[in-house]
Amino acid sequence: MLHTVAITLKIPDNIAFSALSALRRLGVQVERVERADIWQFAGPASGDDVAASVKRNESLFNPNKHALELRESPKPQTGEAWVSTVAATYAVAPGASAAAVHHVGWRLFGKDGMPVAPATLKEAIEKLLCNPAIERAIT
Amino acid sequence: MALRPEELRRIAHGLGREPTTVELYAFDAQWSEHCSYKSSRQLLKQLPTTGPNVVLGPGEDAGILHLGEHNGERYGVVIAHESHNHPSQVVPFEGAATGVGGIVRDVLCMGAEVIALADCLRFGNVDDPQSHQRYVARQVVDGIAAYGNAIGVPNIAGDVYFDEGFNDNCLVNVIALGLVKESEIIHSRAPERSAGWDIVLVGKATDASGFGGASFSSLTLEEDNQEANKSAVQVPDPFLKNVIMRASYRVFEYLRKKKITAGFKDLGAGGIMGCTAELCAAGSYGAIIDLDEVNVSVENLPAEVLAVGETQERLCWVLPGHATADVLRIYNEEFSLPEIARGARATVIGAVQEEKRYVMRRGGEIVMDVPIDFLTGAISNEPTHREPSRATPSSSRNAHEPGGLAQVLGARNGCSREPLYKEYDAVVRGTTVIPRGHADAGVIAPVAGAAFGVALSVGGSVAEAARKVVAVGGRPAGLTDCLNFGNPNNEVHFAQLAGAVATLSEDASTLELPFVSGNVSLYNESSSGTAIPSSPIIGCIGVLDNVSKVVSPALKHPNSPLYFIGTRGAGPALKTENQRIAALLDAIDGGLILSARAIGSDGILAAAAEMAFAARNDFGVEFNDEVMPETRYHGWLIEAAEAATFEDFASRRLSREDWRRTGVTTVADIGGEVDIVSAGRSWDLDELHGAWSTRLAELYA
Amino acid sequence: MAVLIFPGTNSEAETVRICRDVGLDAESVHWSQGASLPRYDAYVLPGGFAYEDRIRAGAISAHDPMMDYVIEAAEKNKLVLGICNGAQILLEAGLVPGTGAVRRPTAAFTRNAPSGKFICKHVHIKLCADPARCAITAALPDAAVIPAWAAHGEGRLAATPEHLDEITSGGYLAFVYAHSDGTVDDAAVPNGSALRCAGLTNKKGNVLAIMPHPERDAWNFNHPDIADRKAILAPSGGATLFRAFAKALA
Repeated sequence: MLHTVAITLKIPDNIAFSALSALRRLGVQVERVERADIWQFAGPASGDDVAASVKRNESLFNPNKHALELRESPKPQTGEAWVSTVAATYAVAPGASAAAVHHVGWRLFGKDGMPVAPATLKEAIEKLLCNPAIERAIT
Repeated sequence: MALRPEELRRIAHGLGREPTTVELYAFDAQWSEHCSYKSSRQLLKQLPTTGPNVVLGPGEDAGILHLGEHNGERYGVVIAHESHNHPSQVVPFEGAATGVGGIVRDVLCMGAEVIALADCLRFGNVDDPQSHQRYVARQVVDGIAAYGNAIGVPNIAGDVYFDEGFNDNCLVNVIALGLVKESEIIHSRAPERSAGWDIVLVGKATDASGFGGASFSSLTLEEDNQEANKSAVQVPDPFLKNVIMRASYRVFEYLRKKKITAGFKDLGAGGIMGCTAELCAAGSYGAIIDLDEVNVSVENLPAEVLAVGETQERLCWVLPGHATADVLRIYNEEFSLPEIARGARATVIGAVQEEKRYVMRRGGEIVMDVPIDFLTGAISNEPTHREPSRATPSSSRNAHEPGGLAQVLGARNGCSREPLYKEYDAVVRGTTVIPRGHADAGVIAPVAGAAFGVALSVGGSVAEAARKVVAVGGRPAGLTDCLNFGNPNNEVHFAQLAGAVATLSEDASTLELPFVSGNVSLYNESSSGTAIPSSPIIGCIGVLDNVSKVVSPALKHPNSPLYFIGTRGAGPALKTENQRIAALLDAIDGGLILSARAIGSDGILAAAAEMAFAARNDFGVEFNDEVMPETRYHGWLIEAAEAATFEDFASRRLSREDWRRTGVTTVADIGGEVDIVSAGRSWDLDELHGAWSTRLAELYA
Repeated sequence: MAVLIFPGTNSEAETVRICRDVGLDAESVHWSQGASLPRYDAYVLPGGFAYEDRIRAGAISAHDPMMDYVIEAAEKNKLVLGICNGAQILLEAGLVPGTGAVRRPTAAFTRNAPSGKFICKHVHIKLCADPARCAITAALPDAAVIPAWAAHGEGRLAATPEHLDEITSGGYLAFVYAHSDGTVDDAAVPNGSALRCAGLTNKKGNVLAIMPHPERDAWNFNHPDIADRKAILAPSGGATLFRAFAKALA
C-alpha cells in the first residue's frame, strides 16, 4: 500500500510567495501558488498510522507551523506538479525511512481560482520549478 | 502561567483592581525569572562589572569593551550572551536557531555590526541511536548552522560536552560579538526629551508563535506537556534577519548623518510589551501602544498574543517624528521587507508619553493601563537562610577516564569537535584569523585596515576562559557568563548557584576582569526533579593590539623546548596568575613564543598531543621524568623559540617557584615514528589522531 | 566593477574589500539600485543565500531584474565572476556552462555528498584549463593552485551524463579541487562534486563560476601560521585570482 502525505505551512509560505512573483515576471498566467512537501511511504501500515508516525517525526512535522493531509490519490492533483531530486545521494531526512520518497508539490491556480491548464503548468515547470540537470517533475 | 499566588495578590494590590487578561499575561512575562532575574539579582550584584576597558557594563541588551583605535576612531566590541535551553530541548532545530537569532538582535540594537558567534552546548548520553538526546544533539547543531551561516556571521568559538545529567534538559548557550564606534553607540532606551516620539516596530509579521515564551523558559519541563510547549517555541527566519541587519546598518548610517539620537531594542521575552515597556521605562517615560497597528500574518489574534507573543525577527525603534518617514522608507522600500517576507515591514505602533503609565489599546478599547515602573520594576524572590556552598560547581566533563591518553583523546568529551563545527561557517566576512576549533580561542581582525584583533574563548571557569585567550596572544579584557542551574526554589540548587557566583566573583576580581554581560538560566530540570549538573559557562574576550603577534597551537620547529607555565595540584592558584599572564603576553610580544596551548582538564599529555595534531603530526613530544601525567596542571604548555633567551626572560619576570621548567623537549622524527612519550610509555600520534578525529564523526555524519 | 547584493547575500564585505585591495574600482550595488548596473565594466556575484535559496539555490535570483542586466552584459563580452551562491545563480541563469538557452540550466551546484550538510573547510583549487581559456584567469600561471575556503551546503556539480561530457569536451571545466601541492585526487574534493569541479566557465570564457571562496583566504592575517608577519594586512593567497581579474580589466 502506498500512502501519500502532504505537509503544508500554516504560517505564510514565503517560498510559494517568491515562486508566484517569479512566475508572473516570467509571463506565466498564474494567480496563486500552493506548495506542499509530499511524502510517499510504501508499507503494510494503515494510512492513519502513517500520518500519525509522520506527526511524531519532529524533523518532518512541527505542529507549531505545519498542517498534515493524508491524500487519497498517490498522484499529483490537477494543476499540481511534483518535483523531486534525481539520484539523491544523501538521506532525505533524519528519521525518515529509506522507503520514503520526497517531492515538492507545486499547485498553481489561475485567474478564475481554478487549477491551471496542463500547458501553463508545463511552462512553469520548464521556466522555473524544475532544473532538469538535477530534478524531474511529474504531473 | 508561571506567576505565583503571592505575585497575583501583589499585582491586584498594586493596581487597586483585578488585572485584565492582557495585564495578567504582561506581568507573567515581565515578572518571570527570564525577564526579572528575581531569584538571582542580589547574587549577581557580587560580580565585578567595572574597569578601565569597560565602555558599557551590564544593564542593557549587551555590554561593550574598548577594543582599539584606528584612524582617530575608538572602536568597541559588543558582547551578548544568552541561553535557549528549554526551546532547544522541545524543538531542537528551531529552538537553537532562534537562540542565535535572539543574541544577534541584542548586539545589533546597540548600533553595532554583528561580527562573530560562539555556542556552548551540553547534551545528554547519545549512545543510543534511537534516543531523543541524540536527535537533540544533531538538530541543535543543524539549527545553529542554518541560522549563523545564512546571516553571514562567522562562528569562531564554542564547546560541547555530553553527560547523562543533560538527558532531559540540554544546554544551548550562544554568544555574539559586535563592532561599534564608541561615539556611535545606540542605547536601549527612549532618549532624553523623547515624549511624543514614534515607537516603530520592525520585522516579521506577528503571529501566534512564541506565545508564553518568557514564562515557559522559567518553568521546568514536563514530559506530557511537550506538545503544548512546542507552540511556545518561535519560528526562525535567518533570511529575513540577514536583510533586517543590513537595513538596520543603513539606518545607523542615516541617523549618524542626521545627528539623530534614537532608542533601539530587540523584541525578546515578553514580545512587543516587554520591549516597548523596557525601552520607555529606561528613559523614565511611559508608552501608548495601539495593537491594531501591528502588522500580523494571522487575523484576529487575541490582544494578549499580540502584546506578549514572541514572534521572531522583530526590533523596535524610538524615533523623532521627523525621522520616521525616512526610516520606514529604508526598511520598506530600499530593503523591500514586505516583498521579501509576507507581512514583514516597519510600522509605527505607538508613541512615548510623559506620563509614566504603560497603555495598550485594541479595537478602540484600553486593554492595559498600568504604572510602567510597577510593570518593569524590581520584584524579588530571594530565598532566605542560605549558606552559599563554596564548592566549585561539579564539572560535566570526564577529566580522566581510565586507560590513559588514547582513551582521553578518543572519548566523546575529549575528542576533536571538527565533525560538529565543520557545519558552521567560520570564515564569512573574511576577517577570520583563527577559525573555530583551530586553537583555544577564535580570533578575528574586525576592522579593515586596522591591525588589532579580538579573541573569544569559552570555558567552565574564569581562569579557564582567560587562559585560553592568553594562549593565542590575547590580553583578557572582560567576561560574559551564563549561569545554567536547576530550580532556585530548591535549597540545594540555590546553594549551588550562590556558590558558583561567589567563585566567579572571586576569580574575576583576582584577575581584575569585569563581567560586561550575562544571563541566568534556571529551572533546568525535568519533571522528575532531576536538575542538570551545575553549569556556569564563561566567555572571555581578549584584545590583540596587533594580530601579527597571534600564536597558534601548532608545534613549529624540531628541537625547540616546550615549557609548562602554571601551577600543579588540586586547585588553581590564581593569586599569582596575573603575573604569569603578563609574563606570557610579554614573551609573545617579544616573539619568543612559537606555539602555545592552555592545558585543560584532559591533562598535559592531551594538550601536547593536540599541539602535535595541529602541526599535522610532523613532530612528536617527549616528556621528561618530572612530568606526572596524572597530576593536574593549571597553566599553559608553550613552545619557546630559543631556550636560553626564553629562560633568561622568564627568570627576570617570574619567581623561581612560579614557573618550573619541565624540561619537555620536542623531537622531530624523520623516520615516521612520531610519538608522545612520557613516563616510560609512548603513544603513536597517528593512532591517537585517528581516535581523536573520528569519535564524533558518527554522531555528526 | 559592480558587486551585486541580492536579498540574502552575505559575503559582500570581503568581496568588495579584496577587489579594492588589488586595485579594482569595486562598488556594491544593492537590489533596489539595479538600474545602475549597465554602466559597469564587470560584475561579481558574491556568496550568501540570495532569496533564501527558495525553490533551489540561485533559482529566484536568476530571474531577479538585476540578472537581466548581467545576462545582457555577458552577451556583450563583459566579465562576470560568481562565487559560491553567485556561482549557483550563474548556473541557474544558464550563463555557465551556457550550453543551453538563457535561463535554462544544464547543470547545477547541488547538495553536498555524501553528508548532505553544509561544510566549512579550507581547500585548494587548481586551474585545469589553459589560463587564456577564461579572461579572468588569463594572467594566472598554468595550473595555478589557489587557496580558498569551501563554505557551502550545495557545492556538488551535478548534470546528466551527456551534459557532463559536454563540459569536459568543450573545455568548460576551469578549476578542480586539489591538494596544496597541486596533486588532484578524490580526497581533495570536499563535496562529491562531479569531475572534481570547483569552477566552470562559459564558451566565450568571459564568465567564471567558482564554488569556494578565495576572498576569505586573501590576506596574510587569514593565515596565522605562514604569514609574513610584517605585512599582516597585505593581500595574499586567494588574492591571486582577483589580481588576475584586475589585469584582465586593465
